Amino acid sequence: MPVVKDHSGWMRKFKNKGKDTAALRRQRVEVSIELRKARKDEQILKRRSILFSLVDENLSLGEEKRNEIIQLSLEEIVEAVNGSNTELQLQATQATRRMLSRQKDPPINQIIELGIIPKLVEFLTHADNAPLQFEAAWALTNIASGTSDHTKAVVEGGAIPAFISLLSSPHMHISEQSVWALGNIAGDGPLYRDALINCNAIPPLLALVSPVTPVGFLRNITWTLSNLCRNKNPYPPLDAVKKMLPVFICLMEHEDKDIISDSCWAISYLTDGCNDRIQIVVDTGILSRLVELMARPELIIMTPALRAIGNVVTGTDEQTQAAIDAGVLAVLPCLLRHAKPAIQKEAAWTLSNIAAGPCWQIQQLITCGLLTPLVELLDKGDFKAQKEAVWAVANFTTGGNVEQVVELVRSGVLKPLLNLLLAKDSKTILVILDTISNIFLAAEKMGEAERLCLLVEELDGLEKIEALQTHDNNMVYRAALNLIERYFSGEETPDLQPGTGHDGLYDFSVEKQDFDF
Amino acid sequence: MELSDANLQTLTEYLKKTLDPDPAIRRPAEKFLESVEGSQNYPLLLLTLLEKSQENVIKVCASVTFKNYIKRNWRIVEDEPNKICESDRIAIKANIVPLMLSSPEQIQKQLSDAISIIGREDFPQKWPDLLTEMVNRFQSGDFHVINGVLRTAHSLFKRYRHEFKSNELWTEIKLVLDAFALPLTNLFKATIELCSTHANDASALKVLFSSLILIAKLFYSLNFQDLPEFFEDNMETWMTNFHSLLTLDNKLLQTDDEEEAGLLELLKSQICDNAALYAQKYDEEFQPYLPRFVTAIWNLLVTTGQEVKYDLLVSNAIQFLASVCERPHYKHLFEDQNTLTSICEKVIVPNMEFRAADEEAFEDNSEEYIRRDLEGSDIDTRRRAACDLVRGLCKFFEGPVTGIFSGYVNSMLQEYAKNPSVNWKHKDAAIYLVTSLASKAQTQKLVITQANELVNLTEFFVNHIQPDLKSASVNEFPVLKADGIKYIMIFRNQVPKEQLLISIPLLINHLQAESIVVHTYAAHALERLFTMRGTNNTTLITSAEMAPFVEVLLTNLFKALTLPGSSENEYIMKAIMRSFSLLQESIIPYIPSVITQLTQKLLAVSKNPSKPHFNHYMFESICLSIRITCKANPDAVGSFEEALFMVFTEILQNDVQEFIPYVFQVMSLLLEMHKNEIPSSYMALFPHLLQPVLWERTGNIPPLVRLLQAYLERGANTIASAAADKIPGLLGVFQKLIASKANDHQGFYLLNSIIEHMPPESVDQYRKQIFILLFQRLQNSKTTKFIKSFLVFINLYCIKYGALALQEIFDSIQPKMFGMVLEKIIIPEIQKVSGQVEKKICAVGITKILTECPPMMDTEYTKLWTPLLQALIGLFELPEDDTIPDEEHFIDIEDTPGYQTAFSQLAFAGKKEHDPVGQMVNNPRIHLAQSLHKLSTACPGRVPSMLSTSLNAEALQYLQGYLQAASVTLL
Repeated sequence: MPVVKDHSGWMRKFKNKGKDTAALRRQRVEVSIELRKARKDEQILKRRSILFSLVDENLSLGEEKRNEIIQLSLEEIVEAVNGSNTELQLQATQATRRMLSRQKDPPINQIIELGIIPKLVEFLTHADNAPLQFEAAWALTNIASGTSDHTKAVVEGGAIPAFISLLSSPHMHISEQSVWALGNIAGDGPLYRDALINCNAIPPLLALVSPVTPVGFLRNITWTLSNLCRNKNPYPPLDAVKKMLPVFICLMEHEDKDIISDSCWAISYLTDGCNDRIQIVVDTGILSRLVELMARPELIIMTPALRAIGNVVTGTDEQTQAAIDAGVLAVLPCLLRHAKPAIQKEAAWTLSNIAAGPCWQIQQLITCGLLTPLVELLDKGDFKAQKEAVWAVANFTTGGNVEQVVELVRSGVLKPLLNLLLAKDSKTILVILDTISNIFLAAEKMGEAERLCLLVEELDGLEKIEALQTHDNNMVYRAALNLIERYFSGEETPDLQPGTGHDGLYDFSVEKQDFDF
Repeated sequence: MELSDANLQTLTEYLKKTLDPDPAIRRPAEKFLESVEGSQNYPLLLLTLLEKSQENVIKVCASVTFKNYIKRNWRIVEDEPNKICESDRIAIKANIVPLMLSSPEQIQKQLSDAISIIGREDFPQKWPDLLTEMVNRFQSGDFHVINGVLRTAHSLFKRYRHEFKSNELWTEIKLVLDAFALPLTNLFKATIELCSTHANDASALKVLFSSLILIAKLFYSLNFQDLPEFFEDNMETWMTNFHSLLTLDNKLLQTDDEEEAGLLELLKSQICDNAALYAQKYDEEFQPYLPRFVTAIWNLLVTTGQEVKYDLLVSNAIQFLASVCERPHYKHLFEDQNTLTSICEKVIVPNMEFRAADEEAFEDNSEEYIRRDLEGSDIDTRRRAACDLVRGLCKFFEGPVTGIFSGYVNSMLQEYAKNPSVNWKHKDAAIYLVTSLASKAQTQKLVITQANELVNLTEFFVNHIQPDLKSASVNEFPVLKADGIKYIMIFRNQVPKEQLLISIPLLINHLQAESIVVHTYAAHALERLFTMRGTNNTTLITSAEMAPFVEVLLTNLFKALTLPGSSENEYIMKAIMRSFSLLQESIIPYIPSVITQLTQKLLAVSKNPSKPHFNHYMFESICLSIRITCKANPDAVGSFEEALFMVFTEILQNDVQEFIPYVFQVMSLLLEMHKNEIPSSYMALFPHLLQPVLWERTGNIPPLVRLLQAYLERGANTIASAAADKIPGLLGVFQKLIASKANDHQGFYLLNSIIEHMPPESVDQYRKQIFILLFQRLQNSKTTKFIKSFLVFINLYCIKYGALALQEIFDSIQPKMFGMVLEKIIIPEIQKVSGQVEKKICAVGITKILTECPPMMDTEYTKLWTPLLQALIGLFELPEDDTIPDEEHFIDIEDTPGYQTAFSQLAFAGKKEHDPVGQMVNNPRIHLAQSLHKLSTACPGRVPSMLSTSLNAEALQYLQGYLQAASVTLL
């Protein structure tokens, strides 16, 4: 049952039972279809510039009073944009930008239908007319903040190279607006993300990061860079990742919370993948900082840091050990007891993957006092977190040695575990039944199976397992039946039911053939 | 089949005949329908009939036939022909929904079932328009139609409640949500409005409430896997309406029926389920609504009556409270002392009371009562729900709750004491509270918290339980007696042993009670007490302690089997078996009477075996009688044969399939008891045991093999002399078994016995054939299990006939065969052999090949000598290789076979493991060393040189250890 990795080769070939830790570790995504609302604690994919527009409106109030706010109809906008009067072009672009910046129902579709995007993109190249460049950039930013189709319209209008060259605009506000626009484009998905990377957007973006960059600007850059790390299928190219990583590591030392948060999100994306990718992050030595940030009280920092560490421990035993060495086990108890269910859940998921490791890592869980908070969570946590906690216990009992399983039982895991057999989730129930069976295997090795039977019965577990024999899910019902037959049915053994042979003739005769084994 | 009037007419005739009570008419008609169901248009003819037939009975019959047809044929199984032609499939899917909706309810239900069977296979990919078609009907305003749609949707979606999360499942759910969630919500709102418009119209309300129940069920299915975005956004609509439905009452919907739940109850209990689902899984989102639901459900409980029709509602409602009260952030809803007291008094206690319905079940439906009470199938009962609520409350309020109940227990007992014959139900409630709530945890070391003491268990036992059991009449207050006996069973690990010993005669006495529940519980309690473990792995209650009670115990147990309703009571039979096993030789004086009663019982039940557990324990008891008696007096076996053979013959002659495997086991046990030559009565039966018909039944194979082995052990010489003509038949059985991957190990058991026991000359002429057969299996379909058994067999053969004989017979089948088997089978696979005896046989056999087979020393086989030795050392020293090739995972392999039949269906008919080399070799490692020494003396210098050239260093080290231990050196 336990998977021991430090076997000599000679012994090892006899121990292969087809179960290894890699199979126990569970990656973040099991199904890609979601029924739920998008998670509220995710980082924002695309942003429209609304708040900014209000500020701008206030600042420029005096000017506006003089010039009066010019209201233009959509037809007038098309006409002006396509005309040759630069003054009118500016007015029309500004009017467009204003419409797109209003709080409610920005008319993105109507603006796209006007067919003025190519024109707006062209305005981006008007280096002689900074106000026009700025207004066009802003308008395009807000169009790109919409749905995928909206972003597509901007990209197909040719905006990517234009925005990239504007990154080095002498006007900081234009450069900043371009960073934002690129962030929206990158956030759309792997296709445009890679389009940006292929257009070499990363070096000029990184060049904008300096000790004197204003905090607000730096936030935008960090966010855009993090979007360049985001999404799978495919992952961002390795060399791009390697270029950005050192910058994130610096940014994580920044004092601004948003900058730290977005840097952590970036790391969480980079670690959400195969072990090679995780290794690149581990090699930077950033894990201790991540663990430190995991312990911060601010949710916006704690959440992505925890995610990143959670991803790292889906990796190899060595990568998991690196996270343990960075001190993750000291921080997890607090997070398992956190008031927010989402944090509890994420922490329990992390724990479940550490518990999927070899005995010596499981031993560290025990030594660092993780069993008590785990049992508490199993008992009183939010359901989503309880489900993860069940996985943690299951992995623990699969990989742990007999003494470790005994320690787990001693810390009171059985009662809440058996209670969760009432959960309304077939998978959870099945995992619990498997776990109970693991615990019985350990008990059998110690000759304590009977005492465990008694304990399960006393904790009202037997009646719950018995009830599951009528469960509608076949696997659940069979697992329950197996447990009952194996441990709770006295001496009756199930009928032996071999199949029948095909040869019905009993005459004893055989034709000789040539043999070659 | 054409869609013609003539065919419709024919079909009508046959359908009518399938309803005929006379099987001579009915059966051929059924056969006919089965024979034509593969024809094109057959299902369409049925659909036409169920719609258009003039006779209602034909319509219904056609609809049922159609549904069964769909059930049998719709699924397309890989590698099997498609049983319904494509055009019929398309036509069915195009017509069935409107047809279902326009049909009367009786037919609608059948078609709705058919739709869900089709849906399970085809929906959504191959039936894309089903959902839109259904949703469009919501607009119809006709609630007959709407309910048809809802019912169908429910049968399509209810699997979401138990299936595992998967991409495929969630894609389907998402599709359903997109098309269905909004229309369902609108329908829900509209239906509720209609309910208030039609508040005074009873028949309209009934239809509307049926819809609401289905809608609430659909809500549960659609919300089960995860909280869908749509329902999160519309939680206000759903929960507000659910809440007001919970508080709604309408005289028009109240029913007079006491048993059957009415629409109102069904709806409310589904709403409780829905709220409980949200409270358990989506707590974060549901929190704002929860307190309202707690209040509403609480009020509901306080105002709902004791009638059976409310049971489901009440237990669901209590379960809701139970799941909520143990959540830390809802603690405040319950913590007020008044709240707690009133929950205990008004919700828990009333629902723990023994009701008239329970009393009825206790008397008239005792089997069901026992199942519910003893075997925990009381999931949906009020009592069970009430217990769960108490446990939930104890999580945070253990002190106060225990306090309230211990006061309650005392006051109930006082009430009882005032007037037992009137107030006995109060005592029942008190005992029930104690048995269900007192902590059963005795293994204190392993659990962190320990419940407060509700009562002192031993004091309660002495003061309140024993007096009832000691009363003069065993038939007075049967419910309290049953309670008391159950108390002993439940707290048998907590009550001190001296108290248990005092209870034993009381329990024996209650075996005589007329009440089935009481004497069954008494038997069960005795059986449980007899299985308790004491120190040193012995039983807690010893045979000596039972000595004074043996006679009365046996008498009462067998008498209990004659009480009305208990003639095949499995609890009593199990208690008989357990008593025999505990009492051992002290039952011998009673055996003549016991065995007479058991054979009479056997004869009676063999007419119509219906209680498998009862029968099993009966045969176990027979085996125990035989073992115990013959252990003390081997000659007694004859009297058992005399008593049993008549019944056995009858069972075999009447082919009572359930009993035949048992009979073979008992016969094996009897035959093995014989010390001398096999009696002629057995030999007369021998030819019959080789009948193919017996071997066709898989359940017979293990016990029959075991029986034939017993024949071979005791009567090999008799068979060789008196039944030589049956040897081919015997080997035929071996061939039959070896042909099957599932039974081949049984074939080897038989073959091993033949080789070990039959005189060599009697099987001489068949030996080559046997090996050819084995090689054929090895060549064509070898499995790990087969190889393991094969290795054991050839080594046993080698031990029996010598290594040279083995080599000669192999090479006579095909030149160089011996080398091929060594190289391709023995050397690489020997590590897979499992079992101590099996390994020993292989070790001794291989030692012989190494040291007593000249061709190994100076032919081309010599190059295999060292590898074979190394494999043997590996067998001694390496862990067993239990890997199984991937392609074998799906072979149905029964329990790991041992050298001997491990078939242990009857635990007390089992036999000891047989070690054919036990006498010859004690320590196979030493034996190897000694044999090598002998070989090296015969040809000095050869052995050390072979060792030094190619034996691996580690293996050599082990070998030197063996030589040292045997104090020999190689020359």
